Amino acid sequence: MTAAEPPGTALTEPEPRRRLHPLSPVLHGAKSIAVIVAALSWQTLSQVGLERFTLVVAVIAVGVVIFSIVGWLTTGYQVVGRELRISDGVVRRRNRAIPLERLQTVELRRPLLAQLTGLAELRLEVIGGGKTEAPLAYLTVREASSLRDRLLRLAGRTAAVGAQPTDQPVGEAPAAPALERPMLRVSNRDLVVSQLLTPQAFFLPVGVAFVVLQFVMEGSWTFIGIASTVTAMAGVLLQPVRRVLQDWDFRLARDPEGRLAVRYGLLETRSQVVPLNRVQAVGATWPLLWRGQGWLHLRLAIAGNAGEPGGDSKSSDRLLPVGEFATARALVWDVLPGVDLAALATTPPPARARWLNPFSLRAIGVGLTPEVLVTRWGLLTREMHLVPYARLQSVRVVQGPLQRTLGLATVYADTARGRAGQAKDRDLAEAYALAAELAVRARNARGPATVLPTSPAAAAPRDEAYWQRPDGP
Amino acid sequence: MTVDALTPWPDTVDWRPVSPKLITVELIVRWVWTLILIAGLVVGLVLQGHWLWKLGIALLVLNAIWRSFVTVRAVRAWGYAERDNDLLVRHGLLVRRLSIVPYARMQFVDVTAGPLERAFGLATVQLHTAAAASDAQIPGLAPAEASRLRDRLTALGEDRAEGL
Repeated sequence: MTAAEPPGTALTEPEPRRRLHPLSPVLHGAKSIAVIVAALSWQTLSQVGLERFTLVVAVIAVGVVIFSIVGWLTTGYQVVGRELRISDGVVRRRNRAIPLERLQTVELRRPLLAQLTGLAELRLEVIGGGKTEAPLAYLTVREASSLRDRLLRLAGRTAAVGAQPTDQPVGEAPAAPALERPMLRVSNRDLVVSQLLTPQAFFLPVGVAFVVLQFVMEGSWTFIGIASTVTAMAGVLLQPVRRVLQDWDFRLARDPEGRLAVRYGLLETRSQVVPLNRVQAVGATWPLLWRGQGWLHLRLAIAGNAGEPGGDSKSSDRLLPVGEFATARALVWDVLPGVDLAALATTPPPARARWLNPFSLRAIGVGLTPEVLVTRWGLLTREMHLVPYARLQSVRVVQGPLQRTLGLATVYADTARGRAGQAKDRDLAEAYALAAELAVRARNARGPATVLPTSPAAAAPRDEAYWQRPDGP
Repeated sequence: MTVDALTPWPDTVDWRPVSPKLITVELIVRWVWTLILIAGLVVGLVLQGHWLWKLGIALLVLNAIWRSFVTVRAVRAWGYAERDNDLLVRHGLLVRRLSIVPYARMQFVDVTAGPLERAFGLATVQLHTAAAASDAQIPGLAPAEASRLRDRLTALGEDRAEGL
């Protein structure tokens, strides 16, 4: 399985289809049951009583596990040439072929249960669609990491053949062929402190006082009441706590091919490998409450990364959960070579834009460096967004009615992922000039047009076996 | 590109208009909806006879007339231009938008035509990039022009790399 196929002859001998680990249906079932129990909530428990509640949960559990087992039987994956083929689906069968040259990142996730059983989930991010297209859950850790290495190797081959060899920093790889070079480790103390410095954490004492007061006034200490209150409190605190759990022991490294390897998590560990030429944009945020420490956090925008940009639990977009400016500066220099976070000058919009931004005018700005488009905004929470010209998808100039009376316009620089670089409320002539300049720079950054070899995946014959059920492992 | 503050460069580009037949299509759609709504109000008027129903009808008609004028101008505001490396599309009256989409970033091209558009011999071409926000839609093209544009865009897109 781990043997690399020689390039070119990849299609001649399809390897056998493989199944996920036999324990996967149990893990899937456990996950669904947790969701169901959460959905049934305390209210139901109090209404139907404990025995019936348990019975209902047990029946549902059996059903879910049976369903998962059938799902497991029908799921298989296979690497064919430069394609990963995944077939799944119980009611609607689905066969999916993923051309590996379109692979953006690969993430190895290990939720708590998977950690206990020595399994891992492999998530492939490709472009298109809001969710992860191909979660392979679950494989053994060894299998998952060897598959990941293999997929990345197959995916990386195009990058070498393709347009931008300049994106990969050359000159440091050959020295240590098999070792990752650690770049950074975020101390857990800083992480916890940083999450205590969030609005939610500040509301905690208020919340506790409110709850205690309520109990003192009403004098009722029922189990349901306490349980509901605890749940509500957990809801408020969920985000900072989740951040701490997720970003626990955050480590960054460069692997021998120059890709970023990001690892973090306490209950669910994640380990993500990001080829640097897949980084669409980098965002930096200086929250108000972190200013005393001079901290900031950095995000990566990667095309196809599931979940909303900017942050809830699902997306794996961290580049630096919390860190000092010097750290962030070194990191940005590494990810976007030639970009110095300390030397990104921006210019504010003309003074008449104050009508539209009464308070935040000075915080808004846009700047062009030789490598990236820099946009800044936010008065209290300062944000900065860096878009490399080579990743620009399109440029838009939009002028609303109010802007027209003031002779202003907003320029958007769209990327495949994350928010667009946004030059708000520029002078109209400047906006048009900026748009033209961006279009030119985007073109130049891509280099001269190159003709890629047509992928073998496109011509791959859909043999009969491909549509059959998977063979046993 | 030289930029003169008085005539910004988008005005110096050779914009191609969309077909004026699009005005007819849009007007038909608008008036059909208006008539449906008016029919509803007339039923209300017959059943109940309150003067508010008449007011509603009058407002609907006025709105439709006003929007018809706007439609005429809005269709004339659409324009597109094929430059060497990118496609320019502009549209909008109240909110004016200009999109610059490099051919190299194209993921796929859609050509669509609804029944009414087909009856008038029109089609809509839409260029999709990997960014969801990219907005390069050109309605009201003659089918020949639409397929020429589609073929040209796909040919240029193939020439110019993987799109990301």
